[in-house]
Amino acid sequence: MQAALALPILTVAAKAGAAQVGEVGISLLGYRERGLMKVTEPVLWGHALLADVWEVEASVGTDIVTGASPELVTNVSGKPVQSVTAASISERRNLGDIRVTRHLGDFALSGSYAQSNEHDYHSKAYGLEARWDLDQKRTTLIAGYGRSDDHVGSSVDPTLDAPRDTHEFLLGLTQVLTPLSIVQSTVAVSRGRGWYNDPYKYTLTYYPGEILPVLMPDTRPDHRDSLAWLTRYRRHFPDARGTLQAEYRYFRDDWGVRAHTLEIGWAQELSERWSIRPALRYYTQGAADFYSPVVPRPQPAVLSSDQRLGAFGGLSPSLRVTLRLDDGLVVEGTAGYVHDAASLRLAGGGSEAFSTLRAVYGIVSISRPF
Amino acid sequence: MRAARFTLAAALAAVAAAGCTPVAPYQRGYLARPDMALEQDPGTTQALDKTFAAKEAANGGARVGGGGCGCN
Repeated sequence: MQAALALPILTVAAKAGAAQVGEVGISLLGYRERGLMKVTEPVLWGHALLADVWEVEASVGTDIVTGASPELVTNVSGKPVQSVTAASISERRNLGDIRVTRHLGDFALSGSYAQSNEHDYHSKAYGLEARWDLDQKRTTLIAGYGRSDDHVGSSVDPTLDAPRDTHEFLLGLTQVLTPLSIVQSTVAVSRGRGWYNDPYKYTLTYYPGEILPVLMPDTRPDHRDSLAWLTRYRRHFPDARGTLQAEYRYFRDDWGVRAHTLEIGWAQELSERWSIRPALRYYTQGAADFYSPVVPRPQPAVLSSDQRLGAFGGLSPSLRVTLRLDDGLVVEGTAGYVHDAASLRLAGGGSEAFSTLRAVYGIVSISRPF
Repeated sequence: MRAARFTLAAALAAVAAAGCTPVAPYQRGYLARPDMALEQDPGTTQALDKTFAAKEAANGGARVGGGGCGCN
């Protein structure tokens, strides 16, 4: 009960259900696409409360990516299709972040820093976030600002070192609705300027009656402004010993992309130790204004055949199994399947050149309070 | 379209406000359950966010200051 009285509704580490000082954990992601990439990512993370008013959260991790990557969209066979790199690529990305929060009664102020480095991409990001608890912590207001300073490079063009600056603003509200339900809604606005081209992607188009094709490198606008509105809802059902977990996100940007993401999960307690969580995630997006699998005539100033900017939808079912041991150790395993296809776009109209993506992933996570 | 969005936001706010009932601090035991958390552990959250963000045009919404990647 003491934990419930002190419940910081907004705290990310809402696992703080026990009178603990902190928690450490390690997770391992394995992701594999059919015919394309494999990703392995171990992450070590932890958080701790110091002197009752300071909170420190940090994580470090590494991405190891191997396999083939989409490189070219060509209509050499008659209709545009995506082709992948002939040679298997292998790259590593190191990432880390730290966040320090000072609690001042009903007010909390956080500062964060994140860094990510790959041989052809470097990112530094800073964040400030304020939280204000109202009405005995039944309501929490959130305001945040973030800035990232990225540099894009390329293996095929060692001279490329192009900057990208992004400013982000966030406003949100967390509301306890009843003793059994809670909702959070956040709106994040992002304003980016700089290099957005993918230096590894090209569009190769043949025209009827002409011998020589046109090859156009991926060329995108030098700005991107976006809005993401995320709402998350949790509702516990004591008689069923289960919790409904629902999330919806609306996304739009000035590239013309409109996307909706809906995830519904049900966390079912099987015993004091075991619980399972089946979930289904649905995603749908419209194409960017400058997406095209062929180079039209006259040749436009901006064009990308990257199918991630096309129109498609995706379904992703997953199952999570959690084991809680007496000493506080938590072992969690998640298995999921990703299926992205043009035909899965809401209301149809998916991009014909979209190459169906099928992937499986698994995450194993072990955490322990202290 | 702008009016429709405003109406939707106002409707959501109204529903949320109407759905609120007084909740005293001692009634918050269920809210402290791990399955009521808005996010999973940082490792799982980071892995899933990045997995989907690398394959979709949309991203973000939950936090700011996370930085980017050259994901393929």
